[in-house]
Formats: sequence, C-alpha cells, structure tokens
Amino acid sequence: MKTHDSDRRSTLARLVTAGMGVIGAALAGLVGAAATPRTPDTSRKWRKAATIFDLPPDAPFAAVLADRHADGWYETRKETVVYLEKAGDGYRALSATCSHLGCRVAWNPQTKHFHCPCHGGVYDRDGQVISGPPPAPLTRVKVRVNSQTSDIEVEL
Amino acid sequence: MKGVFARLIDWFDDRTGFRNLRHHALDEPLPAGTGWWFTLGSVLLFTLAVQVLTGICLALFYAPTPDHAWDSVKYITDAVRGGSFLRGLHHWGASIIVVAALLHMVRVVFFGSYRKPREVNWIVGLVLLNVILAFGLTGYLLPWDQRAYWATVVAINISRLTPGGGEFVASLLRGGADIGALTLTRWYAIHVMVLPLLLGVLIAAHLYLMRRQGISGPVRPQPGPSRMFFPYQAARDLTMAVVVGVLLAVLAWKGAPALEPPADPTSSDYIPRPEWYFLGLFQLLKYFPGRWEVVGALFIPGLAMGALALLPWLDRGRSREARQRLGILVPFTAGLAIVVTLTTLGARDMPKAGGADWNIQEIGGAAMIGTSDRCTRCHRPDGLAAPIQPGHISKPADWVEMHVADPEVIAAGVREAPQGSGTAQAETKAMIAAVARLRSGPPPALDEGTRRVYTEFARHCVSCHMVDGAGGKDGPDLSHAGLKLTAATIEQRIIDPKSVKPDSDMPAFGDKITPEDIRAIANWLASRR
Repeated sequence: MKTHDSDRRSTLARLVTAGMGVIGAALAGLVGAAATPRTPDTSRKWRKAATIFDLPPDAPFAAVLADRHADGWYETRKETVVYLEKAGDGYRALSATCSHLGCRVAWNPQTKHFHCPCHGGVYDRDGQVISGPPPAPLTRVKVRVNSQTSDIEVEL
Repeated sequence: MKGVFARLIDWFDDRTGFRNLRHHALDEPLPAGTGWWFTLGSVLLFTLAVQVLTGICLALFYAPTPDHAWDSVKYITDAVRGGSFLRGLHHWGASIIVVAALLHMVRVVFFGSYRKPREVNWIVGLVLLNVILAFGLTGYLLPWDQRAYWATVVAINISRLTPGGGEFVASLLRGGADIGALTLTRWYAIHVMVLPLLLGVLIAAHLYLMRRQGISGPVRPQPGPSRMFFPYQAARDLTMAVVVGVLLAVLAWKGAPALEPPADPTSSDYIPRPEWYFLGLFQLLKYFPGRWEVVGALFIPGLAMGALALLPWLDRGRSREARQRLGILVPFTAGLAIVVTLTTLGARDMPKAGGADWNIQEIGGAAMIGTSDRCTRCHRPDGLAAPIQPGHISKPADWVEMHVADPEVIAAGVREAPQGSGTAQAETKAMIAAVARLRSGPPPALDEGTRRVYTEFARHCVSCHMVDGAGGKDGPDLSHAGLKLTAATIEQRIIDPKSVKPDSDMPAFGDKITPEDIRAIANWLASRR
C-alpha cells in the first residue's frame, strides 16, 4: 500500500515537473522568437545615379544616392556615394566605401588616386589598392545606361 | 559510483544548500481538503510572469516618445516576429490578471481567510490589487493612439479633484504643463520600473506571510492527513496554468485591439473610453455631475477600499462559516453586484462610431494630395519620404500644417511659407484640411467624376462659396443652388459672371477651369436642391 502511494506520488511529481518544463520552454520560445532580429532586406535594385551628361571628362564623378532606410520603426536617410567614370565603351562604378574600415574615400585630382582619410589607404583609378591597410579593392557596383533617358543606373 | 552530473549536483548542494531551499519551497504540508479554490494565487503568479516576459519583449522595440511611440507599437504589431501575438498576450493578460485578482479576493472573503492572524497579508493583497490597476492605467497610455491619449487626459483630470492639492497631484502625473512627452516618459518609467519593483517586493511579502502563517485551508476542517504542496496541489496549479494559458493564447491569437490613429491633442470630436476594468468608475462618475464629481471619482472608491481594508477587524466572530458571517458577506456581495452592474452599464453606453462626414474641401484636398507634384515628389513608394497613409500620420498637427504650406521646409517655423496665387493658397488650405481628416482614416470612396468636381470646386470656389457648412462667405451659399438656378445659367456665371449679372464681383473662370470641368461643376450644383 505504502509503495503504491509513493509510486503514484513520484509519477505525479514527474508529470508536474515535465509540465512546468513544457510551459517554460513555450515561454522561452516566445521570448527567443521576439528577441531574434529578422534578417535585413538586402535585395538590390537599379537606381538612377546620374545622367551621362553629368560626368566630367577627366575625373570620376561622385554620385550621391540618398534613400529612405528603415531602421525598425525609425526611418533614416542613408547616403551612398558611388564614383562613376567612362571606361572604354561602358561605364565603371566604384563604391566609395573603403574596404578597410568603411570610411568614405575621396578622389584626389592631383595624384589621380582615391585616398581614404582614416588610415591612409590609397586606390588607383580602377579601385585597386596601391598602398595602405585596405585588404581588398573598392567594390565594383553594377552599372548600366538607359539609352532612352540617358540615365546612368547602378544596382544597389 | 555516482555519475559526473550527480557529483556536480552534490557539490553545488554542499556549497549552496539548494536542496534544502527546494525542500522548503515545495514540501509545504497543506491541510486536508485544500482544493481548486486555492489555485487562484498561482494563476496570478503565472499570468504575472507572462506579463513580465511579454513586457520585456515589447520593451525591446518600444520607444516612449510622442514622435515614435505609435510608430514603434505599429512596428511591433506588423513587423516583429510574433509581435501581434506578443501584444495580444500582454493586452489580454492584463485583463485576465484583473479578473483573477478579483476572484482571488472574493475567495479570500468568502472563506474568511483574512481573519487573524492574516490581517497584514490581506492588506498586502489589497495594495497588490491597486498596483495591478496602476499597471493597467499606465500601460494604457503607452501605444500613444487617440484612445490612449484621451483616456489619460480624463484620468489626469480626475486626479485634479483630489482634495487639498489636486493641481499638485495632476502635475505630478503629467510631468509637464500639458500631457505630452514628459507624461509619456513618466508613465513608462512607472510602468516598467516603479510598479514592477513594487510588485516584486509585495509578492515576496505576500508569499512570505502565506508561508509563515500557513494557508487558511477549507472553512470546515476536513479529516485526514495533510498533504505536501508538491506534487499534489502543484498539479492543480499547473492544470489551472495550462487552462488559463490556453485561454490567453486563444484571446491573443488575433492580437490586441487595433491601434487607433496617433494621438492628436487638437482633435475635438474624440470620445475617450477607459479599459473595461475602469468602466465601473467611468459609469459612477456620470451620477455625480458638477461639484459632486469628487464623490464618485474619489470618495466612493476610497471608502470601498477603506471598508475592504478594515474587513479583518469588522469580522471577528468565532466561525469562518459563511452562514455565520452574513453581516459581512451580504454587504460585500451587494458591493460586488454594484461594481458588476456599473461595469455592464458603462460597457453598454458606447459612443456612436465615426465623426462627421468629410466635407467637399477635405475630399478635394485629399484628391490633390494624391495627385499634386507638391506631395508626390517625395511621398511615393521610391521617394525620399514614405507614402502618406490615412490613419498613420504621427507628426503633430502644427508641423503638418507648416509642412503642407511649405514642403521644402522640414523644420517648421524656419521661414514664412510662400504665399503663391489665390488658387495655390486655396489648394494649400484644402490639403491642410484633408490631412487633418486623414489622421483618422481614408476619405469616402467616390467615382472619378465626383472627385474631380470636388477637387476643382475646392481649388477655385470654396474660398468664397459655402457648401454644406464649409467654405468662405464672400459669395452666396451654394448648398441648395439647384433650387434657384439651372445648370446652363450656373455654367455661364462661372465662365463670365458679368455676362449674366453686370454688377457681379465674382471673377471670371472661363480661362482658369476647363470647359468640361465647368460643365461638370454646374451640373453638380444644379443637382443640389
């Protein structure tokens, strides 16, 4: 009799413990789902950067693309700078973001190089590293020309 | 030979004594006959834990500022993973807690559990009930929609009735001169810091006293040995937690009630409603107009709380049997019935939905917003500003007004808005009027022809002529133009007023509006009788 009672008790105890575990796990799942950020939208689209008439003959043109950038419930304006230049029959578009630590590089008309103001990285006209800490060339951005409107479009 | 895990547990127990703690927490002998009525406290603990967890999750995304509170709640509802469910759990959880707390209190009163030596724990419980209601009141403001804002205006105005210092109490609750940014941060801080701390301390005290005195158990002591809390009563508690949890999940599945338009302190036709558990108080106020308001707002609820607090000292008979305590239970039940009745009456007295209809100027203005380059230059899907969505305008009214008048200026008040031609000014006025209405929802659906007539009328005619109560007074009211004039006459008067009436002050519109639009306006006016 005594053992029967204590069997019952330990079975119930296990059930209650398991039940509490299930409830705890459900609540933990809920918190985890809410707290884990969603993967940001990284889809790209073609956007007008300039017209072919904007480009100076002898230097890369800094096209500033501003757009709305959703930061959760907040909205910021994000500016992206792309250097555009005629190259052969087509156009070349280089991201102005330094591959080292993300500063914005600037075209130096004297040296005819891109210089990064942060740690002295230097890139040539084609975006290849000449000196300094950058580990990789400037990122190439896809570029195309809309023949109807003469717009230069980049994929960002 | 013990396994590594068991030895680790032994070591931990040796250093902390946690087994003893577990034994102390769970192996509490309960009197025989302790049953389902004694699970309500555990239900409260469970739902409060859910509130804490969902509250933390909401706080990960919420921003307590008038500029962003509404947007952040909208973001939680629309974009956060499980966000709508999360808000639903927090919203409905609050209601379940109020119900469970009241049932718990009713159980304690009917079982006479508050009697000696449990008087102090009874008082702690009453304070806990008020803390729970304060959670409800402060949390109601946080979504910063119309409902939240106006219910809080009422709550703070009621606090001004406090005898001997009402203005001071109201200013403490407001934080600033008006209900605004300082109120929101203050109520947020109270909701997420002050009240949870109080709640934690009070629950600890409540449980400590419960354990110190043991639970009161059934009214009539039952024969039989006492049983341990774990697992017997714990199994009942768990069952109730599952039942309440499922109920809560079902209620929360469709989320919390939809957000209303963002708080708009300038709106004049909003009728505020409190959350259901304050509807009784809301209804009570209606019976005490004018200078008697303080009786309904503060004296009666205060007296009721005071009487509840004194119960252990009023109820000193020998027996806990209900039949022997009718002197306490009858008035208590009557009071409960009054609360339920008042709440029901308050719930029935719902205001009619929706405000007045849109007038022609507003409808025309809304159409201009959708088509005018002035707005769509930036407010378009790919533009520099988000498309304008009816019911989702969270910027303050004065800012919007200046921005419509001068879209180039994002910081209102930096320069005078350009005046432009009379037509441009009329357009601006119509758009400002439309934006004020767009705060609460979209304009009525109209066919293209009517919309065009309204738009042209709002652009050229409304400055001087009134229709259905909206418009200028320089020209005659055209609400019933069809009673006096035919379409052909009206058309001619719009094209060249002097050709019909030589002394007319009205300018000619033959070269300003297209002939088709003039004819459409004339036909529309002629149809108004």
